[in-house]
Amino acid sequence: MANTLFYRAADLKEACVLLSQYGKKAKILAGGTDLMVAINRKLLLPEILVYIGNCGLDYIRVEGDSLIIGAMTNHASIVRSTLVKEKAPLLLEATKYIGSPSIRNMGTIGGNLVNASPAADAGTALLALGAKLNLVSVSGVRQVKVEEFFTGPGKTVLKPSEILQEVLIPSQNENSKWAWYKLGKRKSDICSVISVAISIEIEGNLCRFARIALGAVAPVPLLAKRAGSLLERQNIDKTLITKAAKAASEETTPIDDVRATAWYRRKVSETLVKRLLSQILE
Amino acid sequence: MDVLKLKVNGRNYEVETDPATTLLEVLRDKLFITGPKVGCNTGDCGACSVLLDGRLVKSCITNAFITDGCEVITVEGLAEPGELHPLQKAFYEHYAAQCGFCTPGMLMAAKALLDENPNPTREEIKEALAGNLCRCTGYVKIIEAIMAAAQELREKRSMIARKEVS
Amino acid sequence: MAFKVIGKSEKRYDGLAHVIGETKYVDDIFIPGTLMVKVLRSPVDKGKVRHLDISNAESFPGVAGIITPEDVPNKYQDQPVLASSIRYKGEPIVAVAAVDEDTALEAISKIKLDIEEEEAVFDPLEAMKAGAPKVRPEGNLYMYGKYPCRRVVFGNIEAGFKEADYIIEGEYFHPTLEHAPIEPWASLAVPGADGRLTVYSMCQSLHLTLGWLADVLHMEPDDIRFIKWAWRTRQRGSTSLSDLKYIGGIIGGSFGAKWDIQADHIPAILALKIGRPVKWRWTREEDLQYSIYRGAWHVKIKDGVKKDGHIVARQIRSIRDAGAYTTFNAYVVEKHCWVASGPYFIPNVHVEGYCVYTNKPPAGAMRGFGITPRTFAIEVQMNRIASQIGIDPWELRFINAYRQGDQTPTRRDLDSVYLIETMQALAKKAGVKLPDRLMSMTSAERGNK
Repeated sequence: MANTLFYRAADLKEACVLLSQYGKKAKILAGGTDLMVAINRKLLLPEILVYIGNCGLDYIRVEGDSLIIGAMTNHASIVRSTLVKEKAPLLLEATKYIGSPSIRNMGTIGGNLVNASPAADAGTALLALGAKLNLVSVSGVRQVKVEEFFTGPGKTVLKPSEILQEVLIPSQNENSKWAWYKLGKRKSDICSVISVAISIEIEGNLCRFARIALGAVAPVPLLAKRAGSLLERQNIDKTLITKAAKAASEETTPIDDVRATAWYRRKVSETLVKRLLSQILE
Repeated sequence: MDVLKLKVNGRNYEVETDPATTLLEVLRDKLFITGPKVGCNTGDCGACSVLLDGRLVKSCITNAFITDGCEVITVEGLAEPGELHPLQKAFYEHYAAQCGFCTPGMLMAAKALLDENPNPTREEIKEALAGNLCRCTGYVKIIEAIMAAAQELREKRSMIARKEVS
Repeated sequence: MAFKVIGKSEKRYDGLAHVIGETKYVDDIFIPGTLMVKVLRSPVDKGKVRHLDISNAESFPGVAGIITPEDVPNKYQDQPVLASSIRYKGEPIVAVAAVDEDTALEAISKIKLDIEEEEAVFDPLEAMKAGAPKVRPEGNLYMYGKYPCRRVVFGNIEAGFKEADYIIEGEYFHPTLEHAPIEPWASLAVPGADGRLTVYSMCQSLHLTLGWLADVLHMEPDDIRFIKWAWRTRQRGSTSLSDLKYIGGIIGGSFGAKWDIQADHIPAILALKIGRPVKWRWTREEDLQYSIYRGAWHVKIKDGVKKDGHIVARQIRSIRDAGAYTTFNAYVVEKHCWVASGPYFIPNVHVEGYCVYTNKPPAGAMRGFGITPRTFAIEVQMNRIASQIGIDPWELRFINAYRQGDQTPTRRDLDSVYLIETMQALAKKAGVKLPDRLMSMTSAERGNK
């Protein structure tokens, strides 16, 4: 029988204390769009639920060089935010088609990351943006890069005592360009078959840096490092784009599942990276 | 078991429930408000859609306890008893309900849309209904009904505005 | 003459209730004290229950009653209500009624079940081969009387092939399809003080399923097993159809899925045993995995065609993957065979339709009873003929379309035939410019035959 305990943490500190007390027994509840599905399907019955909706983690602000988004900020707020539109339009575009309107009203950016789906759209976009995450516990805050955060499907470096507090996105300059593409079996309310996020800094044709991220093609949202490094400090042309797209596809380690075959994902990864890079160059 | 305070369709309730339950379970099994339906229990079909403090949510994946102190509107609360909301009237007149099982959720998604955007395009309506499945494939009629209701609501509003001016 | 309805747009009689959320579907009916059902489903595709121990579940707090295969001797058509000889993964073995679903699930986890697994077969083509694992002891084919298939013979197929200038063959596969109505299966059974049982059903054809359900519940008073039905025995000595009150007609989508009783029998039996209202509702996963669906088809066509496009012979062999039980499969195959050659007059037709059992959940009826997969196969075949003999696909269809007075392979003389006219209207709508010789054809005459 279910006899879950429910804690509504008054602030982040209390939430941290509860986690340090209960460890693995406790599950953080944010929007619940993933957690409640698991509970409904009897895959999970947490002993303790710690709700962090009252911890003041729902914010979007600019601090110094970074755009900072609190973990409890829901997708709908991100899509509506003028700050996100100005500072991280790639994230806004990626968030637009997460789930459906009702899912975006409840689902949070923190949940999207912590749930660690290889197909997480926000996770893929944040990889390309070079975002950092602040993880907090009773012993303080530590910062990790998004690419170090995911360790496998549903797995992250987050310790049982830690809470994802906020996402820090480095600011973009006038040479920053981006592109996003979500390939699903339909346009909305669908898990990505492949998603591609690209963020590059380019002057004329000279690429300062490039980050190419792909979703649903590896056990974690994937940063295609080799593809990115092929472009960096180079003059980008068609040949180089073709090379980088091929490299990105080679970096993927997709699986066959109900949405697509590994073969298809590898092929389409290449096509999409090529297409998006060409778009940026135009 | 804990006590949850909730306002549903204008009435206040206190419900004893387990924290691992969903808003949908509270509405249906405890309050016998059966407009919201159980279609999938995984947040996919949208038959359970309700408004939570004015926001469209899927009540089947909304934890009951995070709605403590909130106001919930279901299809039963769209209009005063004995009256029809323009959306309900339009759904009825435009044959937007076939088997009717998705209808309560569709109506709530449509309400959320029109509250935010009184003059939606067909494309915007489709976007707003992205999380609501109709297996009878009656989407065209549903979109037409929402267009008609939006127009009626706009006319009503401009009439009120004119009255206020005069 | 003034019509009451014709020429007018009538509102749906149930439309108003739908839009105000007042329509009560089965799961919307709440009766105090209702017990909830969960079933233990087979974890294997085929096998025999060697050992079943429900004692720990029976004594589990909150459990009101349990039924096992032994308790339910009667079958639903050819299906056991609860199986001890397993024919598909997910087949119900034990049903538990408890105060709520979580309790029922936990009680089920206490059941000790040991199954001797047997070799299963999933591909109907494999299942038809000699020496294939037997899905059912009597064999893997549904028998139409003494025949292993439904056969329709018209004219002389061999003579037709001899007469033909081309022989064109095609092989078509139609996959499994799930109806996926938005309302998952649910049923509520309420025993009354008068000894009658009320069942709230979502079946789409109540008068048909009433009989089937009564078959399951019917028991002879002197049957020793009847003792177990304590509540019913106390109330009445015997059962008759009038003891069953079947309420329904409100369905959250069906698409053919709700022809079979699926969920009505188990709560009905538990309600009779325990004497309390019992509700069984399936999760979406259960509904997708175990409810009936459109079984897969394999259709092989061999056509004899003249140079001028006339099809003079059509031989079809269709195989239906029925899953483990018959349900509507036999009839679906039959109907498929009646119309297998398509809406075309072909003087020599030979059709064989096989209904093949495999170790999968039983397939059933879905929109068109076997005609839809036929249409897919035949129309792709028509295009194949057109491309192979170099004739316009529209023209091929016009030449062969049924005309007024034609006879079908099942010896039905057709009247009210308007296929030519329909295709002409269709071409106009689709903006396809057809040559005058096609646009001037009518269904009243056969033309240049």
